[in-house]
Amino acid sequence: MKFETVIGLEVHVELATKSKIFCSCSAKFGAEQNDHVCPACCGMPGMLPIVNKNVVNLGMTAGMMLNCHINRTTTFDKKSYYYPDLPCSYQTTQWFAPVAVNGLVDIETSKGKKSIRIKQIHMEEDAGKLVHDDWTNTSLVDFNRTSVPLIEIVSQPDLSSAEEVVAYLERLRSLLRFAKVSDCRMEQGSMRCDVNLSVRPEGSDQLGVRTEMKNMNSLSAIVRAIEYETARHIDAIENGTEELVQETRRWDDVKGKSFAMRNKETAGDYRYFPDPNIMPVVIDDTWYDGIKNSLPEFPEVKKARYMSEFGLGEYDADILTGSRALCDCFEGAVAECGNAKEAANWLISDCMNLLNKNQQTADQLTVNGTSLGKLIKLVTDGTIGRGNAKKILIAMFEKDLDPAKYAEENGLILSNDTGLIDKVIKEAIAADPKAVADFKGGKEKALMALFGKCMKQLKGNCDPQVLRTMLIDEINKA
Amino acid sequence: MDQTTLQSLEKLNQLRLTDAEKEAVLAFFARQDKEMAVLDAIDTERVERMVHVMPILTVVREDVEKKLFTRDELQKGAPETMDGYWQVPRLVE
Ligand SMILES: [Zn+2]
Repeated sequence: MKFETVIGLEVHVELATKSKIFCSCSAKFGAEQNDHVCPACCGMPGMLPIVNKNVVNLGMTAGMMLNCHINRTTTFDKKSYYYPDLPCSYQTTQWFAPVAVNGLVDIETSKGKKSIRIKQIHMEEDAGKLVHDDWTNTSLVDFNRTSVPLIEIVSQPDLSSAEEVVAYLERLRSLLRFAKVSDCRMEQGSMRCDVNLSVRPEGSDQLGVRTEMKNMNSLSAIVRAIEYETARHIDAIENGTEELVQETRRWDDVKGKSFAMRNKETAGDYRYFPDPNIMPVVIDDTWYDGIKNSLPEFPEVKKARYMSEFGLGEYDADILTGSRALCDCFEGAVAECGNAKEAANWLISDCMNLLNKNQQTADQLTVNGTSLGKLIKLVTDGTIGRGNAKKILIAMFEKDLDPAKYAEENGLILSNDTGLIDKVIKEAIAADPKAVADFKGGKEKALMALFGKCMKQLKGNCDPQVLRTMLIDEINKA
Repeated sequence: MDQTTLQSLEKLNQLRLTDAEKEAVLAFFARQDKEMAVLDAIDTERVERMVHVMPILTVVREDVEKKLFTRDELQKGAPETMDGYWQVPRLVE
């Protein structure tokens, strides 16, 4: 018998906000334990939550990017479970009226195009972190992550292979990064995924027994887990190796196996109820339109436009539209200098090289597009040489600056003083008659030696073409 | 409310009730059940679900980060702490 796998995903994404969802504590990753805490996110009695507007903004943005319907009245609910990483003994989340519902995400795999339906996107708070201490046999609680804002993106069970899951997650990551909803870094836990999986005979319209694997945080682990679970389900159905039960399982990537988790008798009984402390959030037209108008072009739309409007090749357009930061810088630079080809070159070769050297990703580019455009103008109009322009670019990686002013202050302007160039050339020729003779005798290399000496003397502030021509003229005269 | 429901609620809330407390809780819920039965008798077929009684909306705040408390202040009332962590009985994973 042939089987098909039915997979639905719950993807948690940490939102790129400065502060937490219901209090003003920092939402930044990686602080000393319990440094980003206050009575509200520690669940002290009497504290009231106040919704961070930016969380709703980003929730709506995610919804719009994934073609969802936005609920113009959205409410928060309490999900009860008792565990020390949750100081209130409930998580504030959305159950009855989530911010976005009924979306659609297009993916592409080796089998072609497919649309994955999104059931809903809801806003919620993260939980804290527990460290188990063997020495004292206690658990230690860190509330820094408590109340850090998340969205959970719940798909319909429309995925049917590990390949489709990877394509779906990569698409989500690309869209959410583009819209600056989240940096979606799986390795830092800002994107994690619960996999719901069942198996059924091909063509059947009945769903099989479903198991869930929680908190998966790498694409390769997800692929392995899906392959293992699929095989386990099929084996159970075909050979009766075990009885499948609906349960939550933990994926152990080192052992390459999934294990049933304990305490399942109480799982799922979350007793959701409306949070009486948070009144409904009503998104009026001004708010809604503001977010709608701030949405970025989809990456593939931008790519097509870069090719048709700016005449870029597909390869270049692909690299640029792989990151929102590159796009922003590119568009800023083109607006300033009007030279798309040059702007693309500077970004794809020079900026990418510098990013690699600093072990940064394209998304971490901070170079100001307008400033890059000004730099390009200075090179194309012959004010500064390419080599010195690269030095200025390095400085621009440190902080934004005006390239013309910086070049002036650091003596990087090309010399148009032919008198000075002439003087330097004459000195070089007088100092090295052997090189002159060698060049006349047919040794091309000898010219490079003289050229280098002159360039050094001029501190690089000379158009190489001008210097070369003047140098050859002078040698021929000698 | 019966013994089984009460037991599962005890478990969910990590509570341990004495027999006398259980008696009291069961008696309380028996009274509540009677009152709920009165409400249940009302036809609410076409009534929209109401969550919040007051016609007011939530106030939202701008996304500004502020540090208003120190860790030491917050842990003053904690029964046990260790290296800046709150310390609780060990949980078996
Ligand atoms: Zn706080």
